[in-house]
Amino acid sequence: MSSRGGKQKKGNVTSEQEEEEQPLQAVLVADSFNRRFFPISKDQPRALLPLGNVAMIDYTLEFLTSTGVQETFVFCCWMSNKIKDHLLKSKWCRPTSPNVVHIITSDLYRSLGDVLRDVDAKNLVRNDFILVYGDVVSNIDVSQALQEHRHRRKVDKNISVMTMVFKESSPGHKSRCEEDDVIVAMDSKSKRVLHYQKTQGLKKLQFPMNIFQHGSDEFEIRHDLLDCHISICSPQVAELFTDNFDYQTRNDFVRGILVNEEILGNQIHLYVTQDGYGARVSNLQMYDSVSSDMVRRWVYPLTPEANFTDQQGQGCTHSRHNVYRGAEVSLGHGSQMEENVLIGRDTSIGANCHISNSVIGNNCTIGDNVVLDRAHMWNNVHISSNVEIHQSVVCDGAVVKEAVHLNKQCVLAYNVVIGPNLSLPDGTVVSMHHPEEEEEDDDDEFLSDDQEVGHSKDKTRQKAFQLEVLGTLQRGLEENIVCDNLVLEINSLKYAYNITLKEVMQILTRVVLEYPFQQQGTQLTTLQYTGSLLPTWSPVFKNYIKRAQDHLDCLSAVEELFLEQDTHQTAMVKVLMKMYQLEILEEEAILKWFSTGATNDKSRQLRKNQGVSTTLQSLYITARKALCGERDCFPVRRTSVCGTVRPVQTPGLNTEVFLSSSAPEVYPVVERSRG
Amino acid sequence: MGQLVNSDNRMPGADKEADLTERIEAFLADLKRGGCGTGPIRGSGETARETTALLRKVTAQARWSSAGDLMEIIRKEGRRMTAAQPSETTVGNMVLRVLKIIREEYARSRGSSEETDQQESLHKLLTSGGLSEENFRQHFVHLKANVIEAINELLTELDGTTDNIAMQALEHIHSNEVIMTVGRSRTVEAFLKDAARKRKFHVIVAECAPFCQGHEMATNLSKASIETTVIADAAIFAVMSRVNKVIIGTQTVLANGGLRAVNGTHTVALAARHHSTPLIVCAPMFKLSPQFPNEEDTFHKFVSPHEVLPFTEGEILSKVNVHCPVFDYVPPELITLFISNIGGNAPSYIYRLMSELYHPEDHDL
Repeated sequence: MSSRGGKQKKGNVTSEQEEEEQPLQAVLVADSFNRRFFPISKDQPRALLPLGNVAMIDYTLEFLTSTGVQETFVFCCWMSNKIKDHLLKSKWCRPTSPNVVHIITSDLYRSLGDVLRDVDAKNLVRNDFILVYGDVVSNIDVSQALQEHRHRRKVDKNISVMTMVFKESSPGHKSRCEEDDVIVAMDSKSKRVLHYQKTQGLKKLQFPMNIFQHGSDEFEIRHDLLDCHISICSPQVAELFTDNFDYQTRNDFVRGILVNEEILGNQIHLYVTQDGYGARVSNLQMYDSVSSDMVRRWVYPLTPEANFTDQQGQGCTHSRHNVYRGAEVSLGHGSQMEENVLIGRDTSIGANCHISNSVIGNNCTIGDNVVLDRAHMWNNVHISSNVEIHQSVVCDGAVVKEAVHLNKQCVLAYNVVIGPNLSLPDGTVVSMHHPEEEEEDDDDEFLSDDQEVGHSKDKTRQKAFQLEVLGTLQRGLEENIVCDNLVLEINSLKYAYNITLKEVMQILTRVVLEYPFQQQGTQLTTLQYTGSLLPTWSPVFKNYIKRAQDHLDCLSAVEELFLEQDTHQTAMVKVLMKMYQLEILEEEAILKWFSTGATNDKSRQLRKNQGVSTTLQSLYITARKALCGERDCFPVRRTSVCGTVRPVQTPGLNTEVFLSSSAPEVYPVVERSRG
Repeated sequence: MGQLVNSDNRMPGADKEADLTERIEAFLADLKRGGCGTGPIRGSGETARETTALLRKVTAQARWSSAGDLMEIIRKEGRRMTAAQPSETTVGNMVLRVLKIIREEYARSRGSSEETDQQESLHKLLTSGGLSEENFRQHFVHLKANVIEAINELLTELDGTTDNIAMQALEHIHSNEVIMTVGRSRTVEAFLKDAARKRKFHVIVAECAPFCQGHEMATNLSKASIETTVIADAAIFAVMSRVNKVIIGTQTVLANGGLRAVNGTHTVALAARHHSTPLIVCAPMFKLSPQFPNEEDTFHKFVSPHEVLPFTEGEILSKVNVHCPVFDYVPPELITLFISNIGGNAPSYIYRLMSELYHPEDHDL
């Protein structure tokens, strides 16, 4: 209390723990880089969409502030001005705010990777920082996780680069996001992540054996985790993103780190919490469940009546059955607010309405005999009489006229006027924007994982990329460049042309296979062709073909090429054989391709080709032999996400996890291991 | 912090005010976040002290020339503080105490004996006027110093409350008695520990699910070598027949003499009434609130249902509604005695204490 005491204290702290003195920093990415909220996010960035009548970014900032963050960098891209305006008006930018908010805007950000590269370029972070998205709602106390992270970094200098915060919640929980459903293998003692995979609805998953072979003797494979999208990162994370310019998302990063663990020595750890609440509003489904969790007070103390944004007139009262009422709410005769209802200020509701599990914004008018269930209505919405709304979102300024029925999962975007006497079927989205015009407009705004990108643009990009790759490879051959450098160059091209990994593989295969034709004309004989094929580039291939899916992609590219080059179909067998011998392709993948892939007549014909089937048969036999008897002399390659190549001593013990017992798809691997 | 304190000493004016608002904001934010689950992290005693210290700072640093100005400032800050966490009534109580202090000091400076006849009476209502706002405009040089000194006295009083209550323990606890308590209260803990220095007795602690503060209480008591038993809340009635006295703490003492206390207290009080066991409430004076139990909106506090049905349960959560209320209301007729830092009082006497502590005009901030 006295000034002397304060000074003394400070003196001690600076001398002893200089590290602790540094203010805790956070990087908040106020852009989702995808189109999950599409027609809505056209008018308003996702971070500003109201959840329980409060913009989502406010929840995130409150979470950061309450965990003791003193400096936050907010990165905005899409509609950055709106976000900026909002933040400047909010309590976060008042001079008294304990959390200093810096807003950084740029139209050039395309992904999380770009943001973190910019963090590195501008040298913003000095110490461990918290990385979150602008749509994370959480009340988790991460100080424990932070402490563990710092401790780890102190003990093993700079080995752990990231600690991800997960919340325990068993499968089937409505707040689990299907897209983010992950399965994680971790070391129980050190909490180190050994394997990280999105389940993506798969019934069966495979784990590489090698992750269980070193380190401690206790492992956990967990599927009961909810990704809170809160990560504690060391400054190296930003540097790593700069070094690996193909990292786009955190998922890329985590997988990259795990793959290169042995080379770079970086590790990722996990912090699993049972207390608190943390979820990211990554799609409308999640919006619905997070909103209802909030109204049901799971995010306490971030409840509607707490008015944590400190805005005038935002306060509301809380009464039984989780009914929240703002100021000046009027409720007509015979209307019932059953449970879990939040009503914003100055909203008037007519007579004989039934409202349950809904959130209604400010300044709304609702007519008589209206039924609202799980409805999310934002501000200034007008609803006439006899309307029924179930599990739908109605955005700002929308007008719903008489006797309209909105069935489940409908969305009325900004300023839509609808009705009267209409019934919208499940999943209808009504917007003021023409859907087609959007596609082209938004290409640049929302490049995303879901690849909803215009096709024509894609093709030209791919063509240009193909030419560049060809040039690179030719130069490599002429100037005798090491394959590693070629890989590096192709990677940079991939980044420059914004090509996905899958496309890289297809194009690379195509370039390599076409190379002999281009050099010596199309009149080659089969023998000549295969002789001049793949001179020195097999390491390049190996670098790109790692996962089982990669193998299949490569095979389909091969198939496509030979379908075009009718005259050389016989050469295909040789190519496959050669690729197998060079250990580019795996017999499993070839067999699988052979058994499944045929989609049209031509490709079926290709498969029927005498040579192909005989070769495959011989392949099949070698594979069996290898497993039954001559294990030691035949190196069986296992595919793994980690991509490391090592002999497996006990191929019979494939670690497989069945997420459910209902008929898993039969994989050649299973058959073999049983035989 | 260190830097801020430095700037205090050197530069008056704008910096001071910025520092002050920063402190207040920090306190408000703390109050809002205060208590994930079991209630405030700090005890209410600490909250009371902090509020008072902050109000002293306001008095010392804000710009005011007359008592009226100061009261207006304190009221404004007080409204914000109470709004930040309505269930934390100690904050509001302390604001009222400080307002009362200002009134008294002003009256003393004027040389009138206002403090003696502040009671409402028909006579006074008729000859009304009294000291209304415009009368607080007079400027006194020493008012600031006097008010600050009086607030310091209040702080000293707050520091001693728990000890004062604990000192009375031997009058109420006798040898070989069986005493029941519920949940954890710092005051009751000190009370029992004080009695244990001289007497041997047995304490039964109801665990107070779902937060189970009772476990912590029992651990602390047994460390002080008091014979302690923890029971489930469901066993309260069954065990009550063996109990000689029930001693509980409370979160707030309401204006009608009722309690707002931790969940489960009502059960204990009813069981005690059934068995005619005396129910003693240890409550420091700063918990006395001019609030009545019918003010429904702010009375209750519901926290995250996590403790009742964990989030990890999964599917079932989307099918049920789970509530987790924190407080019980205990009506005054179930209470035998209040023990406060100024002695023991019956519930019917609470109104009198109320009028001594707070000025009737301040009840609504």
